[in-house]
Amino acid sequence: MLHDQQPLATDQQPPAPNLSLMTARLYDPLLKVYRNYTARVFLQAIITIWVVMTLTFVLVRLMPGNPVDVLVEQILTAEGISYQEAYDRIAASFNIDKDATPLDQYLQWLGDLLRLDLGTSITSPGTKVIDEIARFLPWTVFAVGTGLLISFVLGIFAGMPMAYYRGSKLDHILSFFSSFSTGVPNYIWGLLIIIGPGISWRWFDIGALRGTYDVGLTPGVNAEFILSALEHAALPVFTYIIAILGTWMLSMKSSTTGVLNEDYVNVAEARGLKERTVISSYVGRNAALPLFTQLTISIGFVLSSGVVVEEIFVYWGIGHLLFQSITVRDYTTLQGVVLLLTAVIVFSNLFADLTYGLLDPRVRVSGEK
Amino acid sequence: MFRRILLLSALLCALGMLAFAPVQAQGDTLSVAWPYQVPPTGHFNTFASGGIVLGQYQDLHEPPLAVLMWATGEYAGMVAEEFGWDADGNYVIKIAEGNSWSDGSPMTADDAMATFNIFRLRGDAVWANMTGIEKVDDSTVKFVMSAPSSLTERIILTTNLRPASVFGDIADRAAMMSPDDDGWNGLLQELTEFRPESPVSGGPYTILPDTITEARLMLELNPGGFAGDIQNFDMVQMWNGETEVVTPLVANAELHYITHGIPPTTEEDFANRGIDIVRSGMNNGPGLYVNHAVYPLNLVEVRQAIAYAIDRVQNGFVSLGESGVAVEFMTGMSDGLSEAWLGDDMLDALNTYDHDMMKAEELLMSVGFSRDDSGNWVDDNGDALAFELTFPQEFADWSAAAENATAQLNDFGFDITARGVQFQQHPQDIYASNFEMAIRNWGLGDPIPGRSYLQAYNRYNGQGELAGEGGGAGMNFDNNISFSGGMINVFDVSNASSQGTDASAQAELVSQLAISYNELLPAIPLWERYTNNALNRNFISVPDSSDSVFANFGGGADNWMTYLILTGVTAPADM
Amino acid sequence: MAGSPMLKLLVSLPLDLLRGLYRFVHRLSTNKPGFVGFLGLLLYFFVTFIMPDFVEFDNEPKLDQIAGPIGSRIQLAVHRDNPQWDSLEALAGKTVGVVDQTGGPSFIEPWRDTLAIEKYRWTSRRQGPGIPAALTDLANKEIDGLLIFSKTVNQVIVEQEDAELRQLFQDNVIISNSTLGPPHLLGTDTQGRDIASHMVHGGQILILTALIGGVIATMIALFFGSLSALAGGFIDKFFTALANLFLAIPQFILLVVLAGIIRFDSTLYLGVIIGLLIWPALLRAIRAQVLSLRERDFVEAARSLGLSMNHIIFREILPNMSSYVLINLIFSITIAMYFQIGLVVLGLAPISDYTWGVMIYFGRSRGTLYNPDGASMALSPVLAIALFQVCLVLFARAVEEVFDPRLRSAG
Repeated sequence: MLHDQQPLATDQQPPAPNLSLMTARLYDPLLKVYRNYTARVFLQAIITIWVVMTLTFVLVRLMPGNPVDVLVEQILTAEGISYQEAYDRIAASFNIDKDATPLDQYLQWLGDLLRLDLGTSITSPGTKVIDEIARFLPWTVFAVGTGLLISFVLGIFAGMPMAYYRGSKLDHILSFFSSFSTGVPNYIWGLLIIIGPGISWRWFDIGALRGTYDVGLTPGVNAEFILSALEHAALPVFTYIIAILGTWMLSMKSSTTGVLNEDYVNVAEARGLKERTVISSYVGRNAALPLFTQLTISIGFVLSSGVVVEEIFVYWGIGHLLFQSITVRDYTTLQGVVLLLTAVIVFSNLFADLTYGLLDPRVRVSGEK
Repeated sequence: MFRRILLLSALLCALGMLAFAPVQAQGDTLSVAWPYQVPPTGHFNTFASGGIVLGQYQDLHEPPLAVLMWATGEYAGMVAEEFGWDADGNYVIKIAEGNSWSDGSPMTADDAMATFNIFRLRGDAVWANMTGIEKVDDSTVKFVMSAPSSLTERIILTTNLRPASVFGDIADRAAMMSPDDDGWNGLLQELTEFRPESPVSGGPYTILPDTITEARLMLELNPGGFAGDIQNFDMVQMWNGETEVVTPLVANAELHYITHGIPPTTEEDFANRGIDIVRSGMNNGPGLYVNHAVYPLNLVEVRQAIAYAIDRVQNGFVSLGESGVAVEFMTGMSDGLSEAWLGDDMLDALNTYDHDMMKAEELLMSVGFSRDDSGNWVDDNGDALAFELTFPQEFADWSAAAENATAQLNDFGFDITARGVQFQQHPQDIYASNFEMAIRNWGLGDPIPGRSYLQAYNRYNGQGELAGEGGGAGMNFDNNISFSGGMINVFDVSNASSQGTDASAQAELVSQLAISYNELLPAIPLWERYTNNALNRNFISVPDSSDSVFANFGGGADNWMTYLILTGVTAPADM
Repeated sequence: MAGSPMLKLLVSLPLDLLRGLYRFVHRLSTNKPGFVGFLGLLLYFFVTFIMPDFVEFDNEPKLDQIAGPIGSRIQLAVHRDNPQWDSLEALAGKTVGVVDQTGGPSFIEPWRDTLAIEKYRWTSRRQGPGIPAALTDLANKEIDGLLIFSKTVNQVIVEQEDAELRQLFQDNVIISNSTLGPPHLLGTDTQGRDIASHMVHGGQILILTALIGGVIATMIALFFGSLSALAGGFIDKFFTALANLFLAIPQFILLVVLAGIIRFDSTLYLGVIIGLLIWPALLRAIRAQVLSLRERDFVEAARSLGLSMNHIIFREILPNMSSYVLINLIFSITIAMYFQIGLVVLGLAPISDYTWGVMIYFGRSRGTLYNPDGASMALSPVLAIALFQVCLVLFARAVEEVFDPRLRSAG
């Protein structure tokens, strides 16, 4: 069935739709959009985001416990007052429109979104969700981005010799390190870093490194602030690197192994090209290609996978906001954060799709002309 | 290529080296911890949710009217220098003169008026027995009561005073209105969205807004505030975070006192570092709740057999070490409260349900149960005693208690499956009667005994209308009970026991509650949670652990540490 | 009639299998790291699938052995005057003290006939804590020996606040035999139970679930990933969109909601749900790989020769991706293992299966990591999972080389 359709031939135009001239003219702009690859995938991305948003809207309300209940329980545990008291106090300090049905809330939310308004927090009435995100997002982007980039680059450069000197001692040591380090979850690495160097060996003051920068500095382009920000990010970044470096090393190694056996590499070697040239221009470039896809995909993941690391190092970013809003069932904040993460995931995937053809000239993404 | 790797590693190391900043020298700073939210979510309106409220340390910023000394049962005046019932059955307090708020305004009766008027706007329980509040003179306030109640007295006196200069406007407008007025809800919303620009303190320390980060915040001495002239510290450093986050700081001696519940293994590590562990009773702990709609858990003999079959000493110790203290008297309130409110004769008459497998066996036999070939119990219908026991998974001590109770009951011949449930889901399951057996708390961290029973008879029983959609019948226990002392409604009696001011009448009601609970065991208390506050005496000087102040609750109102700070006793240790 | 080919098959199949296995192991043995990985996996199989039949799960809380360090064990304390009593045999006819709720009572059970046993309450309102009481009796020669846990005796003596009592113990009590009873190879947990026995029992379900989850995820990803890359058009768009959608759904929130509705008590279901949740990223990676491969010369050659689609997929493309797929399968298995810890938190995975995941979760939440003696509870399973991944990686590489002759020559 598959080969009947000649699916591998990508250079064929889709058959022109059999429409009358009038209708064709009518639908022309739409068809143009549909035929335009980039526009189509963008449309698809928007639809994906909308579906996930709607699903999130429903899911957060299906979660057990609503914002009032959650805070009531918290107060009951922490302060030991009676249920009635706690309930009264919390219910009064919220401003939830009790008459609004979920559908009303949904339409309201969508309407606000079109005006780029994410609404206000439920548990902290009056606080704009967008302000919360703006407060926390930059730090996650900074720490996770740095960690991801460093580990990616290190992984690429460490993975290649592993494949090149397959079976050597270097390969064995690096293989062991990479498969072991990824086998330990990042929060355990984080705790071990605090317990070992932090508590036992006292290399640094754990408390002084908490937060995102030192009190009293003005955020901006000045040496003091940047140094302080780097200093505070060092531990989480280091943790991210340890926890994900091995993945890149092993992926790069297996990818390189495949490329090394390709004919063009042998040809290049036979042509007497310098080994360096072969490694960098041929092997490295080609082997790293599939990893770029992986890198873009992992961006969205890593943004939210740092939740526990952010808590452990008290380096609050978007992961903390996500965790916090789930814990107190702050629906609006939660929707805002999930929307952001969804958009990042979807658009990074989109980016991967769009750029893959550019990076690897052999690949023509189907439908692209 | 290898050179590039080297280069990158060097960069990485440099990045890491930056981290090894020199240890900061602290002056006379008190270093404590409480989890709080940071701006923009966190704010300085302490009446609205999301406000930066520092638990018991809030007392340092918004001082309480009085503190109850648990050892004597007497209130020690703080901001209120005189207080008591007047001849008409109203409550009168007199605010101490000479203190001022950090914005310069003097501390007067207006502040108390503002505070309690806003409570009325919020609909707080303190207004249940109050009909009004009157300013008698600049320092005296009269609370007009419909009926005197020792509970209302307690709520009034443990209130943290808020500044009229900040909240007076909303409070005054609330005082003019009644809940039926049109503007009432609008005013309530105005209150919840009100964001004071800066924190105003009436206590010995003021929050410095510029120092608030997710890591910590600083409070500086407020010399004009209450007790501001007798402080031994210049600053208070408040670390942010839950147990796992503050633990390394305690181990590292960057943090000197925490009230977080710490797991026993961590406690042991602290002890090895020479950190003192301070324990005081909290009047509550985990209990084994059963759904009375599930046969045969509604049989009193079965519940008594369960009580005999579980070794509570073991259960407490594996869960919370020395701070998991087995409940002895099984009255539904803490042993401390039992000793304080029940006479010696009554205590001797109580069944203490000491670990006794034979008694448990006899009780089950007495209702026609038997053991099958493999030694497991079957009830009189031939069904195995197979139940699911749920517990909130995130609570380390309760999950340990559940795990251990399950193992013990299964040893005895039950067939229990323990299942962890997410902690927000778990209470909802109980309210909705969606459980067979569950670990929830008995008792309440409060010295008024009647309130301990609200958990079993109110919160986890017939909570439908209160908990909204999550509501249901709870544990399905009939609050109209008959016991050796007659027939009572336990919920009504537990409410009545905290009303009025006649202690002996209250004690009579409390004894009815205690004896009936001891006989019927609606839920089985396992152990009482004692605090295990970590206190590093190398940095903080407080009286040694024999002092009677340690009878006070270690968390929430009446906390001994904040009492000692407010009275100027806590001081830096001489190194 | 039909019996004879069947019979032939019945005879030849096992023989072929054996021969194949022999060849496989033989080839493997020439690849040292691969062989180590293979042996490691065999060891894991042995420990987690066979040993549970021989090692009993330690379910008895022992209050004096909480967070016991690695290698700790029961000890025999005697009076300083009688160091010769260094075994229970030597104490025949004498009085030996045990404290209830500790490891002592169950350990001494077989000696009930030859020894007089004196029991102490662990704690009692009237007598106070039992261990100091027992040590006092020992110091005063009211009992001749005391079974006590190594760590506890040290704590009771050294940390004794009552100076008089501390002096009494230090002057009179010695340990005559510090190696009584079996050692706790990995220490004890927060209930004083043997961690090694939990490790033996806790791997099977975790590994099985992870294998199921990892294999399902990889199979879905491999099948639909290569299908959409090769088929293109609508199929490609559909599966890419589906994967993108799945990637973007907030899984934690979904699981919280699921936890309130369903309960997974079966390993198989648990594996399936994990597989269903972790496939999308893998699908995208595999699709990209296939897209790249299908334009390569050898695929072009096969296509121009008019070879069938099946041939192209299974003979040309898949073998060339095996390395990549294998390594991703291994990551998926590890992800599936840690995924189960998340499910434990939500109550989706029952804690009655005391798996490594449950151990890590409880070990962390009960603060064992901060105590060097107790850290084993969380770190043992973490180490086990990490080393399992190392073995898988080493073994997978060796398998690759066995099946891909080009790699052997390259190596």
